[in-house]
Amino acid sequence: MQDTLTTPTVLARSRSSVSIQDRSSTVEQASNTGQPPLKPSVVTLPAKSKNPNSGAKLHRMRRIIAEDAEWSLATVPLLTELCIQHIVTNFHKNPILKQLLPEHQQKVLEHLSPDLPLAVTANLIDNESYWRRCCMQRWPVCHVARHGGSWKRMFFERHLENLLKHFIPGTTDPGVILDLLPLCRNYVQRIHVDQFLPPVRLLPQPWPGDQSDSGSEGEMEEPAIGHYQLGDLVAGLSRLEELDLVYGVKDCGMNFEWNLFLFTYRDCHSLAATIKACHTLKIFRLTRSKVDDDKARILIRSLLDHPVLEELDLSHNLIGDRGARGAAKLLSHSHLRVLNLANNQVRALGAQSLAHALAHNTNLISLNLRLNCIEDEGGQALVHALQTNKCLTTLHLGGNELSEPTATLLSQVLSINTTLTSINLSCNHIGLDGGKQLLEGMSDNKTLLEFDLRLSDVAQESEYLIAQALCANREAARQRALNPSHFMSPITASGPENSVG
Amino acid sequence: ITLISLLFFHHREALGEYLDGKKESEEDQSKSHKQKEESRLKLAKLLLCGTEFVTNIQVATDIREIHRRVEEEEIKRQRIEKLENEVKTSQDKFDEITAKWEEGKQKSIPQDLWDVLNTQQLHCAGLIEDKNKLISELQQELKTKDDQYVKDLKKQSDDICLLLERMEEQVKNVMKSFRQELHHIEKAFEMERQELLTSNKKKWERALQAHNAKELEYLINRIKKADEYEKQLNKQRIWDCEEYNMIKIKLEQDVQILEQQLQHMKATYQLNQEKLEYNFQVLKKRDEESTVIKSQQKRKINRLHDILNNLRSKYAKQIKQFQEENQSLTSDYKRLVMQFKELQKAMRHFALIDDEKFREIWLMNEEEAKDLIGRALDVDRIIHTHHLGLPWTAPDFWFLKNVGPISQQQRKSATQIVEEVLMQTEEEGVEEAASESESYLDLPKQVSAKTTRKILMLLCDESGFLIENKLLSLLLPLEKSECYLLRLDAIFSSLHTLLLVISPSHSCPHTFPQITTGNPATMEKTSLVLALEMAEQTELEGGKEESLVDGEPEEEGEPEEKVEQEKEIPPSPRLIHPNDVLKILEAFVKGLKKPRDFRAPLRVLKGVRDDSKDSEYWKALTTVIPSARQSLWDALYTALEKYHHVLTQRANLLMENESLEQQNTELQMLLQQYLASKINSELQVPPTQVFRVPTKQSRTLES
Repeated sequence: MQDTLTTPTVLARSRSSVSIQDRSSTVEQASNTGQPPLKPSVVTLPAKSKNPNSGAKLHRMRRIIAEDAEWSLATVPLLTELCIQHIVTNFHKNPILKQLLPEHQQKVLEHLSPDLPLAVTANLIDNESYWRRCCMQRWPVCHVARHGGSWKRMFFERHLENLLKHFIPGTTDPGVILDLLPLCRNYVQRIHVDQFLPPVRLLPQPWPGDQSDSGSEGEMEEPAIGHYQLGDLVAGLSRLEELDLVYGVKDCGMNFEWNLFLFTYRDCHSLAATIKACHTLKIFRLTRSKVDDDKARILIRSLLDHPVLEELDLSHNLIGDRGARGAAKLLSHSHLRVLNLANNQVRALGAQSLAHALAHNTNLISLNLRLNCIEDEGGQALVHALQTNKCLTTLHLGGNELSEPTATLLSQVLSINTTLTSINLSCNHIGLDGGKQLLEGMSDNKTLLEFDLRLSDVAQESEYLIAQALCANREAARQRALNPSHFMSPITASGPENSVG
Repeated sequence: ITLISLLFFHHREALGEYLDGKKESEEDQSKSHKQKEESRLKLAKLLLCGTEFVTNIQVATDIREIHRRVEEEEIKRQRIEKLENEVKTSQDKFDEITAKWEEGKQKSIPQDLWDVLNTQQLHCAGLIEDKNKLISELQQELKTKDDQYVKDLKKQSDDICLLLERMEEQVKNVMKSFRQELHHIEKAFEMERQELLTSNKKKWERALQAHNAKELEYLINRIKKADEYEKQLNKQRIWDCEEYNMIKIKLEQDVQILEQQLQHMKATYQLNQEKLEYNFQVLKKRDEESTVIKSQQKRKINRLHDILNNLRSKYAKQIKQFQEENQSLTSDYKRLVMQFKELQKAMRHFALIDDEKFREIWLMNEEEAKDLIGRALDVDRIIHTHHLGLPWTAPDFWFLKNVGPISQQQRKSATQIVEEVLMQTEEEGVEEAASESESYLDLPKQVSAKTTRKILMLLCDESGFLIENKLLSLLLPLEKSECYLLRLDAIFSSLHTLLLVISPSHSCPHTFPQITTGNPATMEKTSLVLALEMAEQTELEGGKEESLVDGEPEEEGEPEEKVEQEKEIPPSPRLIHPNDVLKILEAFVKGLKKPRDFRAPLRVLKGVRDDSKDSEYWKALTTVIPSARQSLWDALYTALEKYHHVLTQRANLLMENESLEQQNTELQMLLQQYLASKINSELQVPPTQVFRVPTKQSRTLES
């Protein structure tokens, strides 16, 4: 409000005809509509004027009172408001924002419509509340935390995601996405696309025939045109960190066709080139896309010696031992921290090569081999690798046909290893004796916080006792986290244990 | 499903347990943090159980999947086996059939052939039937698989539903339990707060009561004190009243006096005001004047500044000019110095030439004079021997033997000598050749000037005790050679006095023979300044005795000096060989006596040549014939002159006589001629008769 006292006077001087009214209006407005704190100051001024000392002040505060007693400023909108309104209505033609005062900017942003073309708003508006309105208008559910807490980022990421999802190669104009590129290149950090539509054929296959027929047909012909090529888009996004892709179609229902879920070699090669060129990529996920050994190796070869890659997720694919060997090679040639190969077809050989890489790795924190078939050979190799590894904290070996020998070895490793915090051995055939041995191993361990042994034929008693030990470990870890200095001494006295925060 | 229900039961159990625990927790509410801790534990457990409960579905699906996979594997294996078997059997059958075709070809009887064909057909039909059977089986399997797939889909959707349900339930449970726990914790806090409140209230009341009692006590005390103070106040008031009155009277009087003074002051004030006004006016005027003056001054300052600047520039110019001038002058000066040097050289050259000339002239004149003197003396001798008949002795004068210009052989003092030595050695580099040839000390060659210098230096250093401290301190800043010189001077003077005191007689005989040995020219001089010489000699002797190592202790008998010598000997053994000492001594003394100023003309003439002796000399030359003799000569001269006069008169007379005789004869001759002439005979009267008589008369006269 105090600014309105000054700015209109400046305006008033420029327009001499309304100068008197304007000037009076400012003061009147201050006394009428102004906030309570301003009111007393206006009232006390005449009282002060009696004081000869404040003669100068009186002179400065001279004003003219309107003759019409009925006239009230409340009915007249402020010139600034009018201006702002005008700016808002003509924003798409003449975007004026940066030149305004901060509070006026705020007002303009509040009144801007979320439907404005992105070309106008994208690089001009940084205000979160505007983008929040945009997001809320478009999507009913908004998880802003998933997008780094930034509404703007979320808007652009989801907008791009939508475009990619509904992009039909050969039909949709690729310019639609590339036009967006200059607008969103500074905001998009994550691309999460859970469907890629295949190119439309001119003659749709008569699918009411045998399902087996269609399946065989899909396998037989390799479509010449692949899915949308991400290369141009990813090259343009300067801050891209996460790539989460699924080459498949969602909600196909009874329109199922095998070739809807086809990750072609062409797709694979272009994707490999894309991720190789993207040096900011930290997380790469390619799930449920029928990635077999060869394709996995192509992808992994492109990821070797990647500067920043931290997480690789190839779960729910068809990767076998050769692919696993490639992943093992990647482990020793990158800074990978998370590797997820869940629900693949890795067997003992692949697990052994992974274990070999893991033995001397210092980056990997989490390894997920759920629903593979590594069996005791692979399991023993992996557990053996944990003896020397000082980095891995999470290991998921659920559903791997493991049995007692692995458990025996693991119980020995548990008493040595001090970095592991979470192990999952659910859905294996550990057996009663294995459970007992694991319980023995747990009694020496102080760092493990989670140990999943559900449905693995372990006696309930030992499972319960292990849970107790875990509970104790958790308590200790919590205490350490609360006041590390106090609990440091007993820990160091008891053994070389890391304080897991 | 049974597994899931089992897990679910587990969960229930955990929940029940948890509820039991809650009841327990309600029992001890006194400690809220305990409550908090417990709630936390419970909630953690609940969460854990919940997540387990939810993930159980995943696990169950996993295991189902594994089972399925295993079964699938098994079925696949069986199927493959079956297929292989089938292939094998069918292959066998096919082989059989093909074998039979061969067999059939061989058959020629149509009946047989027909049979064979029939059986073949049967076999084929069987084979086809087998195949069809297999196909139908596989199709059956496929159908069941499809059913299975649909079932699986349904099951999965059920699972997902269940999962959602559980998640919701879990969320609800968690929320509920969290709320309850929150409620419990709040309750615990409330209770604690209540307890704390009541206990504090009690405390507060107790404290309040105590406070009230104390307050009352204080009040009573205060009332008492107030009474006391009131009494005191009253007293004080009365006393104050009296005092006030007194003071009032006094002050009124004072006021009157002050009023009077005020009047006075007013009057003076008026006066002063007028004065000040006047002064003010004056000052104003002055101020005006001063402003005027100031402005003038300012103008002046400006002007002066200008002048100053001008002057500065001028000054700078002048400096430049003067510098230039200075440079030119210095160059001039250098040139002049050069010229001067050249001039000096020329001067020296001319001096030499002049000297030579002078000498030549001198010699010439002297020769002439000597010649004259010789002649005079000869004359004198002749006069004496021939005229006076007196014996003549040749006068013997010193100057007669003198040849060449008289030299002034000033004796140089020891210090001068020393100085020369020092200078010489210093300039050695320049005039080494000269110094060697000119070495006035005719020393043996091994004792060079250098050694002497060394000796002197040594003397200086060693006999420092003879010098006064004061002098030493004064000498410090001087140059080296000068310093040495002054030191030597001091040492010599001190030694001199010492010697004078100790042995004046000793040195005298030592010097005399040496004087006699000197050449006659110096001898005369030395005889003139004998007394002075004596002192110098001793000095030199003393110096020598000290410096030159002396092997004659019997000659120099001073015990002190011996000590000194002994002292000096060891440090300077290589100075002078003892054998040389005597020679050196002798040479030194000889050299001392020699005329040494032949060096002087070579050098820059140190002083103007003393020509006072010259006149004397020349005068002396004139007085070779003494005045008595001169008067004698004068007398002789006058006498001889008279005699001469007489003689000349006689001579004249003789001459007259002769001439007269001659005349006479001539006249006689003429007369005879005359008389003898024929004319006479012719004449009436002959003249001869007239003159006969006079002729006879003259003849008589002549005779």
